[in-house]
Parts: sequence; structure tokens; C-alpha cells
Amino acid sequence: MSAILELEDVARAFPVRDALGRAKGAVRAVDGVSLSVPEGAVLAIVGESGCGKSTLGRVMLRLIEADRGAIRFMGDDLRALKPDALRRRRRDMQLIFQDPFASLDPRMTVEEAVAEPLRLHGIVPRAQERERVAELMARVGLRPEQARRWPHEFSGGQRQRIAIARALASQPRLIVGDEPVSALDVSVQAQVINLLQDLIREFRLTFVLISHDLGVVRHIADRVAVMYLGRIVEEGPTAQVFHAPRHPYTRALLAAVPGQGVKAVPLEGDVPSPIDPPSGCRFRTRCPFAEAICTEQAPPLEGGSHAAACHLQHRLPPAVPPAEHDAGGERLRRLQAFFTDRKTNNTGATT
Amino acid sequence: MSGDASARRIGATAAPVAVERGESPGRRALRRFFRHRLAVFGLVVVVGFILVALLAPWIAPYDPIETSWARIRKPPSAEHWFGTDENGRDVLSRLIWGARASLMAGVVSVLGAVAIGVPIGLLAGLSGGWVDATLSRIADAMLSVPFLILAIALAAFLGPALENAMLAIAITASPVFVRLARGMALEAKSTDWVEAARALGNPPWRTALVHVLPNIVPPLLVQGTLAIAEAIIAEASLSFLGLGQQPPAPSWGSMLNSAQRFLDQAPWLAVAPGIAIFVVVLAFNLVGDGLRDALDPRAQRR
Repeated sequence: MSAILELEDVARAFPVRDALGRAKGAVRAVDGVSLSVPEGAVLAIVGESGCGKSTLGRVMLRLIEADRGAIRFMGDDLRALKPDALRRRRRDMQLIFQDPFASLDPRMTVEEAVAEPLRLHGIVPRAQERERVAELMARVGLRPEQARRWPHEFSGGQRQRIAIARALASQPRLIVGDEPVSALDVSVQAQVINLLQDLIREFRLTFVLISHDLGVVRHIADRVAVMYLGRIVEEGPTAQVFHAPRHPYTRALLAAVPGQGVKAVPLEGDVPSPIDPPSGCRFRTRCPFAEAICTEQAPPLEGGSHAAACHLQHRLPPAVPPAEHDAGGERLRRLQAFFTDRKTNNTGATT
Repeated sequence: MSGDASARRIGATAAPVAVERGESPGRRALRRFFRHRLAVFGLVVVVGFILVALLAPWIAPYDPIETSWARIRKPPSAEHWFGTDENGRDVLSRLIWGARASLMAGVVSVLGAVAIGVPIGLLAGLSGGWVDATLSRIADAMLSVPFLILAIALAAFLGPALENAMLAIAITASPVFVRLARGMALEAKSTDWVEAARALGNPPWRTALVHVLPNIVPPLLVQGTLAIAEAIIAEASLSFLGLGQQPPAPSWGSMLNSAQRFLDQAPWLAVAPGIAIFVVVLAFNLVGDGLRDALDPRAQRR
């Protein structure tokens, strides 16, 4: 599988100013990330809040400019594109936001919102716009009769479906979902995840899922990248990362999910400030295995298809593999099964 | 794309039936506005005031500038409801014609202020950097001078005439709209839906006009209504000082001006335009408050 999107040593820092506007330092939100997203794959980026995963998601779409590094998308050097060329490229890369109450323009009807990308990129002639919008709405489980309604008249799950229809409208190759279900009720989460999975399969989408919900990630991701303080500490196939985590931070993260079965020393202390991250390995201040070398040198991300950024990755005691049926994932699967069954005798979504 | 065929197939089964019509944000605000009694009362007064101004030639009982030595400073009577002034002119007729000057000054100068202020504010808020800094400092500098003082200075500089007074008021009132539009644009810029507009591939100008502008209309409408009240007072003040409507054409401000010399002998000369200004300004303020309540984003989910 070739990579549709490749990042190389990408970084972005946000200056922090004091009350008088003098630069006091910088939050290094994304700090040297190299990542390759295989075409047609679902890649999850996981990590605690504040680790830079949302910033990374926006940097890879060039919604936030990177300070350095290279971003290659479908053969283009994304950072070198002129504004016009970048706008045309946006047809192939879309974003789904976390909060469906904020991501839709309150003064646009569903029809206007979904038709906007069609019009911007000349996807269909004007005469067919309405028809295409109805198709898209039906595809995401909305009734096309609701096309003239305004966002405030919908529930969170329905709004997220509108946002998904809007993201699909321009027939993109890549969609980045920034916590696309975490603002929704648990029952609705399962429905929307089912929908996303169906769409990914049907349209052969490449999907970058930014999430902190490991249950969801385990369920739909092909690959997982674990982020800590602006860096990727582990990246590999989902099953391998969940069964044999190679970075102490990944172990701790998995152990924090109840019922995962991974035994690890629980993390102590807070995440260090991204303004002044620790020297060497950024995780060393909270790592139970840290040695002298961890203070001196930043560990490179190495190990091929399942890579980890840890000096000690080959010397760590083996992690206890997680139980086959984890609590979070099990609950989700049950919900999904429930809604899948219901769908067979009731085609219209009831979100 | 591979999905086209199947999307079409699914679309075919869902042929559009009766389209449901939603309630637009604007209509919802209107519905809320009409629940607000004082605001509706204000709206009635405002509409009445506008009708009086527009229909002045037909409803004024006398010529507003025709003088008569026979009826100087007569108190209110059956022929002259609000009395006559120091030149024997009918006060009611002058009041009705004077409404034109107030309406013009209020509406035209505020429209002017919006036309100057909003584009500048949008530009400042959306572009940021030195453009924002420069434009904002100019607006701040203008705001640091009291409203009337600046209007008086400008009107005096432009020369005494109603058009010049209107221009002076428009310029003086514009920094308020610069500030408001800039603030709202900054707020809108940080919302997800504006970022979404960018992510979809909107050029910056389209984002500004299609996504930002419609969403900042509500506060502009509220501020605009309140500014009309202020502009009416400003026009009256300028006319009072002889910088607005020029005699013999009537204006509520200049009527007050000439009335002050006869306050003890002919108080009706001051009472009529005074109450007219008071009522109209109050009405515009009530409408503005009603709009503010109806458009309040914190009450959006009702």
C-alpha cells in the first residue's frame, strides 16, 4: 500500500506571550512528527488531551501552517502550494470536527451546507445539485425532506451526520476526523461509528481518526500512532500495538482503560509543560523504567512497521497481553450489534 | 469515484417527497421579538414616525414655513393644536415636517456609519496583524473624542447644512461599527464553522461574505437601531447649535433653539419638539433592546 499522506519531521509551535506581549517561550504542540498514512487505511492518532493530536490533524491538512518539515499529499508538496492550488486540493482532503454544534454555519440550511463543497469544486452542474444533496443526505441516514431545515433543529448525532455528508460531498480521498464521536451520546456514538466504517469501506476512504477513546480506536483503526507531548512515541498495526505495546507510555495508556488487562505501573504526576519539555526522552519524568540515557538522548522512532521511540524497547519486561474482550470495546460492540439489527427492519436513522 | 454508483442507487429510492421547511434563525428571532410587548410598542411608534415623515406634505395642516404677523406665539387652540411660533408658523406642521430631518439624520447617517464602519471592521478583524493594529488605533483615537464634540467640529468644518450634519454624524458614529464588526469577526474567526469553511476550500473573501457577515448581522442590527436614536439626538443638537437644518426649514433641534428665548412666555414651543425627540428616541431604544433580546445567542436554543 502506498502512502497517500506523508509527514516528515513536521513541527509547529505556538508562541506564548506575557501580559506585555513579549515572547515568553513557545508551546511545542507538534515537535518533529514523521508519519505515513497508507492509502485506504484507517490510522488512529491517540494520546492524552494536550498532546498535540488535534494540532497535528490540522497541520496535515494545512489548516494550521507548519513551522518546518515536509507534508506530501497525493504527490504534492502541500506546504509549497500557492493559496489557489491549495484550495483546489482541499477537494481531496476533508475534516470532520468534534463538536457538531459548532462546525455548521448556523445560518445555512442543510442543503446549503452540503451543497457548498459541490459548488466550490464544481462537482456537479447546478441543475443536479439538489439531487446530489438528497443522495448524500440519504447516504448518511438523514431524510432528504429535511434539506431545508437549519442546524439548530437537529440533534447532535444528526448534525454530525450533516457534517459527514458535507465532508463526503467533494468526493475526498482523505478525511481527518478530529474526535468525531466524542461529543455524542454513547448510543449515538455507535451509530455514527458504524456509519463512518461503512463509508470508509464503500468510498475506499483513507481516514485519520484523532481520538482518545481506545475502545473506538481498537474497533475501527488499521494502524495506531500514539502521541505524547508533541511526538509520536509508538506507531504500528492496531492489533500489535494493543497486544504487545513497546513503549512504556502506550502500556500506561492501555492500562488506564478498565478491563484491558494490560498491567502497568499507573502513571504518576502531570504531563510536563509543552513550553519546557524534559530533555532527552519526554516521557522519562513519568516513566518507571527510565535510565541515565533517557535524560541524555531523545530516542528515535525505530522498529520498522511497528516502531517505538524508546531506548529500552528491547529490554522492557513483557507486557501482559490484554484480555480478549475488553470492557470498553465490548460495550461498543453490543451497542453496534443492537443498532445494526434494528437497521434491517427500519432503514431510516432515528438519531 | 467508486461510490458514485451506489450513492445514486440509494438516492433513487429516496426521491424527494414534500420538503419540510425549517424555521430560519431570522424568523425565529422575529417570533421572539413579537413576544416582547415594549419592543412592539416601540416598533409601532417608530413606524408611525416614519409614516409621518414620509407623508408630511399630505398630513401637515399648514405650510411649515409660511409666516403670519396675525398669529405670533398663540397658545394651543382648535386651529393650531400645538400653537404657533415667534413667526406665526404652525408648530404641528413644523413638527411633522421636522420629522423628515430627524428621520433622514437618523437613518441615513447610521446607514452611512454602517457602510463606512463594517467593511473596515471586517477587514481589520479578519486580516489581523498590522492592518488590524492601524485601523483599530484610528478607530480608538476617534472614539476617545466625545461623540458630540467630534460631530460639532466636523459639521462646523463642513459648513452648516443638513447634509453636512448627516455626513458628520455618519463619520463620527462609524468607529463604533468598526469596533463591533472587528470584535464579531475575531470571534467568528475562531469558530469551528469558519475553520470548516476554510477546510472546504472557501477563498477568504467568500468566507467573509458568506459565513462571517450574515452571522454578525444581529449585533449590528441592535447597535444600528440604538445608533439611530443617538443620531437623532445628535442632529437635534447640531440643529440647535445652528449647524444642521437651516432656517426656515424645520427641524426639531432648531425649533428647540428658537423656543429657548420664549420659554417663559411660550413654553409650548419647547414642549412639542422636546416630547417628539424624547418619544422617538425612546421608541428606537425599545426596539433596539427588543432586538437584542430576540437575537441573544445565549437564548438560541429556545
